[in-house]
Amino acid sequence: MKKLKLIIEGMHCASCASNIEKSLKNTRGIKTASVSLMLKRGTVEAEDSVREEEIRKAVARAGYKLTKIE
Amino acid sequence: MINRKHKHEEPEDAEITSWKKKLILSWILTTPIVITMLSERLFDFQLIKMPYSSIVILILAFPVVFIFGWDTIKGGIRGLFTFYFNMDSLISLGTIVAYTTGVFYFTGVVQDYSGVAAMIMAFFTTGKYVESKARGKASQEIKKLLQLGAKMSRVLRNNKEIEIPIEEVKAGDVMIIKPGEKISTDGVVVKGESSVDESMVTGESLPVDKVKGDNVIGATINQDGILYVKATKIGRDTFLAHIIELVEEAQGTKVPIQKLADKITSVFVPIILTLSILTFLSWWYFSGDLSKSIGVSVAVLVIACPCALGLATPTALMVSSGMGAKRGILIRKGEAIQTMKEVKIVMFDKTGTITKGKPEVVGIYSKIKQQELLNIVGSLEKLSEHPIAKAITARASLKKYKKVTGFKVLRGRGVEGKILGEEILVGNRTLMNERKINIKDFEKKIINYEDKGNTTMIVVKNKKLIGVIAVADTIKEDSIIALNILNKERYRTIMITGDNERTANSIAKQCGIKEVIANVLPEDKAKKVEELQRFGFVAFVGDGINDAPALKQANVGIAIGSGTDIAIEAGDLVLAKSSLIGVVQAIRLSKATFKKIKQNLFWAFAYNIIAIPLAVAGVLHPVVAEIAMALSSITVVTNANLLRRTKLK
Repeated sequence: MKKLKLIIEGMHCASCASNIEKSLKNTRGIKTASVSLMLKRGTVEAEDSVREEEIRKAVARAGYKLTKIE
Repeated sequence: MINRKHKHEEPEDAEITSWKKKLILSWILTTPIVITMLSERLFDFQLIKMPYSSIVILILAFPVVFIFGWDTIKGGIRGLFTFYFNMDSLISLGTIVAYTTGVFYFTGVVQDYSGVAAMIMAFFTTGKYVESKARGKASQEIKKLLQLGAKMSRVLRNNKEIEIPIEEVKAGDVMIIKPGEKISTDGVVVKGESSVDESMVTGESLPVDKVKGDNVIGATINQDGILYVKATKIGRDTFLAHIIELVEEAQGTKVPIQKLADKITSVFVPIILTLSILTFLSWWYFSGDLSKSIGVSVAVLVIACPCALGLATPTALMVSSGMGAKRGILIRKGEAIQTMKEVKIVMFDKTGTITKGKPEVVGIYSKIKQQELLNIVGSLEKLSEHPIAKAITARASLKKYKKVTGFKVLRGRGVEGKILGEEILVGNRTLMNERKINIKDFEKKIINYEDKGNTTMIVVKNKKLIGVIAVADTIKEDSIIALNILNKERYRTIMITGDNERTANSIAKQCGIKEVIANVLPEDKAKKVEELQRFGFVAFVGDGINDAPALKQANVGIAIGSGTDIAIEAGDLVLAKSSLIGVVQAIRLSKATFKKIKQNLFWAFAYNIIAIPLAVAGVLHPVVAEIAMALSSITVVTNANLLRRTKLK
């Protein structure tokens, strides 16, 4: 398991944050996801096998841009 | 740190600036539309002859909806196709439908709503601008905290002072901090004396004196002397970095009351879309008026506001975190804010929480020569890390220690070991009982100390009493004030301690605490919390290191400590300044925040429950609906900002 911090661009409403959460949670290997609209950040707990690219895609699927993973 | 800072600062400001730009451009084009439409509607005066006015409006409205509003339209349409609906989906559908009527107007079948489309988009943009500003305000303290770290540092390398970026500072570097400068990272003073303003990190308003050997916190401000500080922690390991991490994580935690709102937010948009279609169909079916049906269904689309619901909790939590951080109160779990309301019992650990946690020897009673007693006890206690042991070692301040064999720490009771073949036991009553040592001879002396609130350590050599050492830990001055407030507010205040009853009762009396649970071994504290939970929700206040299990067991765990000493990972709330006033403030802040969250959720629900039926009923013009929608989310964020007016003490 690893914990990743995401910095996300383009959110401007509450349903944005919940959409990203939903999309992340639907990604295989991601256990928990929480996204804060206020800080434009998110945290995911994912299995080690999850690649950054998959997380990036999950965020993009909901229509937003992942600018950085820490 | 520098990178982090930029990443934080820019998106928010960029968002505000971009809304502002769109807002200005939108209104430049929308204002003539409004004038044309109003003069027609209200004064029946045509500024531009029909049908040219419709063409002009259609042309003016196009950029407002499709160019300045492109991000919204794009996001919204995309959402409709990918089923990740959001706010934009509603607005874009509403404006596109409205705009399209303008095109079909020339076929003569519908009323022209294209001007309305521009107005909806312009008001939406305005609302978003105001809202993003208010959101920025809500997070201002936290953002300040995120930017607190020093950027540069002056270090000594090869006996030369050089300024380097903070990232290049290594642990072990000696930093030179002049008066008025920020201490660049956590470290220990190696030379110099000064006082340091730590308020930005710990909330402690008085400057703290620092001399050689003292720890200093990065990002605090040196006041009057030059300090030479050896860097001990850098980058992600610093105290500030930990605080920031904690605050950020807290924003991601959920307050339970928010769950319903979150659930609704996630299904809100599809429900409204369906409702809007149904509204359109039934209006058309029953009234046969296509234009009116379109107008009403557009109003339904744009009035619905998931934002107010979704923002209600996070904005309040954000403002609250900021207010707390300023006072050294860190909210780790949003849940604690809700739980705090139910707390009936506040339980305090004694040492280091109610008292200063720096015990001193205040009395020695010895049957043998006092120095002899100190030689024995000092040598033995030297090997223990316990605060009382340290106090005794300090008092003995031996130059030469005796050799100790078979040393053992008896947790919560004392220590034992052999010195020159003689069995030495130093400990409290519990230990004496356990070893069946009769303390009758010393009883009076011991009681005398205990009545004063001292902790007594009984010294035994070969099962015979040889002395008593009394140790006292001073009560923090503001503990008394804080407990007084809590008692007045009808909390059941309880002190828990490993001390015996007499000592504990004396301390309790001095500080005004109502109940005492004495003779508790450290590992049993959590169990005591559990027992008390039968009577109601318990908040436990303790140091986070020894009390971690108790903090966890409690409904709300409040970890307390001074500066870098706190175990920041323990507790639902963390107090960075070692004052019980912080507990009072934390309780008040939590309660006020929860009240604010409830208010916000109430307004958000009430708004949608009232406004949506009105829109369905066709009594609201789409533009009025959009204004109402924008106002509802602005209200929620502004209301959250009003939390700042709460008096915490």
